[in-house]
Amino acid sequence: MLAGTEFSLPDLIRGVPQLAMPHLRMWHVNAVAIGWLSMGYVASMFHMIPTLCKCDLYSERLGNFTMWAWNILMIGAFCTLLNGNTEGREYAELGAILDVIVVIGLVAVAFNLYMTIVNRKVKKLYVSLWYFLGSLFWFPLVYVIGQRTFVALPGLNDAIIGWFYGHNILGMWFTTVGVGMMYFLIPRFTKAPLYSHGLSMLGFWGIALFYAPTGTHHITQSPVPEWLKAIAIISSIFLLVPVLTVLTNFFMTMRGKWGMVVTDLPLRFAVTSCMFYLVTCTQGPFQATRWINWYIHFTQWVVGHAHLALLGTFSFILTSSFYYCMPRLTGREWHSQGLIRAHYWLKFLGFTLMMTSLTTAGLVQAAGWALGYPIDQWGLALFPYWFLRAISGFMIVTGQCIFAYNTYKTLFTPRASADSTVKAREVKV
Amino acid sequence: MYGYRLGAIGIVTTFFIIIFSTVLMPMVLFNPKASGRGNDYKVIPLSVGDAARGRQIYVREGCFYCHTQFTRIQDRGYGPLVKEGDYVYETPHQLGTARTGPDLTNEGGRFPSQWQKAHLISPRAVKPGSIMPSFSYLSEQDMNDLVQYIQTLGNKRTVTAFVTPPDEYLPTTPQGRGLAARKTVDTASDAAANAGRGIYTQNCAACHGLEGKGNGPNAITLEKKPPNLTRDYYKQYPDEHWFYRISEGVTGTRMPRFQSVLTEEQRWYLVAYLKTLPKEHEETIDNLDQLNVAEPTRLPVLTKQVYEPHHGKE
Repeated sequence: MLAGTEFSLPDLIRGVPQLAMPHLRMWHVNAVAIGWLSMGYVASMFHMIPTLCKCDLYSERLGNFTMWAWNILMIGAFCTLLNGNTEGREYAELGAILDVIVVIGLVAVAFNLYMTIVNRKVKKLYVSLWYFLGSLFWFPLVYVIGQRTFVALPGLNDAIIGWFYGHNILGMWFTTVGVGMMYFLIPRFTKAPLYSHGLSMLGFWGIALFYAPTGTHHITQSPVPEWLKAIAIISSIFLLVPVLTVLTNFFMTMRGKWGMVVTDLPLRFAVTSCMFYLVTCTQGPFQATRWINWYIHFTQWVVGHAHLALLGTFSFILTSSFYYCMPRLTGREWHSQGLIRAHYWLKFLGFTLMMTSLTTAGLVQAAGWALGYPIDQWGLALFPYWFLRAISGFMIVTGQCIFAYNTYKTLFTPRASADSTVKAREVKV
Repeated sequence: MYGYRLGAIGIVTTFFIIIFSTVLMPMVLFNPKASGRGNDYKVIPLSVGDAARGRQIYVREGCFYCHTQFTRIQDRGYGPLVKEGDYVYETPHQLGTARTGPDLTNEGGRFPSQWQKAHLISPRAVKPGSIMPSFSYLSEQDMNDLVQYIQTLGNKRTVTAFVTPPDEYLPTTPQGRGLAARKTVDTASDAAANAGRGIYTQNCAACHGLEGKGNGPNAITLEKKPPNLTRDYYKQYPDEHWFYRISEGVTGTRMPRFQSVLTEEQRWYLVAYLKTLPKEHEETIDNLDQLNVAEPTRLPVLTKQVYEPHHGKE
């Protein structure tokens, strides 16, 4: 299952917008969202949920079926999207047949995991399970609503539903599963109990209540109904509540253990992810307010924000989860700690560089649009930032290639030779 | 056990309440009627290319990732604001999310079709510094359809009714005839325009900018931004209209009534200068040496007659 995620890695980041860039862009979004993050999430859940329930996965065969379905889906997506066979809706580009495969895959995953939880050996549900249960229920529904494959809505209604989906694929899937993984991983790494179960419940219900209606804040300045925009903006601001409770919880769990990030690499990934989560989720509500949106909308700032969420936060926690799960699933230690360290620094520095350049480019653009200068006058000023972004993208891809190589070596190296490079890191399932 | 059941019911209920309020309610309550300003691509006559097919190509090539299709209040130079009913025929919607390139809401007619086509084939040949990828791999048919689609964008949103100066500025009234009789300045002359230049620099440039593009330093602070006076629209202004605007200002904006500051003669000089402001997108060459080095760009010709937007359908 884990090996299946590898092939979507190289396209995690695109370079300078060049030849056939729109096609690459479609593939990029879908590879990241459906290929890399979703597959990785499902893989992590397949490990975490049985661990938390202290029982086996309900059906291994169904799990393998999902894996094949998903990989076939991604091959299909690769072929179609790069040739421009798209539905022309952002985040929902996949064609009708592929949509159906996605839904079948998701339903199979959800059924499999729900049955695992029903068969659990422990009575009490850990908070991660709450998040996973919620996400598995929400996401297939959101996906079905969001695709609009078989309906043709008039333009603005199409946009409303499109952004309901476009934001909730993050809100009800990437965020909730990602946060669930953080809840699982951080106490495990630090070997400290979670700071407060009450806070975690508050965070969960906060997200459940306030995340779903926020979609319309993507189109605050288009002629959609004002009341819908108001709902979206207000709930965007209320999102600060769950975010801050969740992070308080993590950081209080970490207290006295901060030194561990120096030696424990997966924990370092997880903590970095929490930090980026803090940044992205304080940016978000402010961006959603009308006045900041007035200035920032349509610029690369928003692109930076999206990368901060998907790459900075959720890719990092997912990578952390990979580094945690792989030794436990295969019984082998990681091939090389040095490569993990290289992966971390390439990804971290690359991403920081990308974030900085995109945000700066966004501010330049925002000034251009707000003052009403024609794009020709300031377009060239952006070139250094595009260039920096390309460099950062290259760094991140290198990091991911190292990761893929490391995974490959770990999986396929005979045990005897693998052991020699392994340093002391406890393996305890 | 009961607690978890309650929780599960809670999740399901919350989710469906949210779906109801943000998905179903807008679908029921928000049904804008066609405003007549959006295009129904199915009924556009096939003069050169097929706009409906061009739209599919627009979607297929993913143009909407970099080009938006809605104008906002603060946008200047992108034409009239959009309304709800404009989007009735737009499925799937092409509102877009990022403006890596310019907004295309009212793109139709801004450039000739040949220009659009040349721009698709080789963007940097006609627009230096652009980062748009080349779409030269499109077939001839695809390209024509796409250009046709671009040329229909915002066609029905063009301004047809103009504000006219009040009667007392027109020769139809005694006051207007008096005004004309007192006018000693030849507003078509270079001398008058030169005289107006200084007046413009002292009184207008702070907001309107040195070239009249509405980008003077004070423009930042204004809620209603000064207009770009180099736009085509202003080239059809008669003298009386300029004079009226300068004299009485513009209601609802910070544009003052200059009749209390400038004499009648000074205002006419200013009119003469305003008429000489450059025209937007007009190619100018500063110096004769450039004439010798400038390579003429060979524009590809459309296969059928040139499609002239805004004048095509009567």
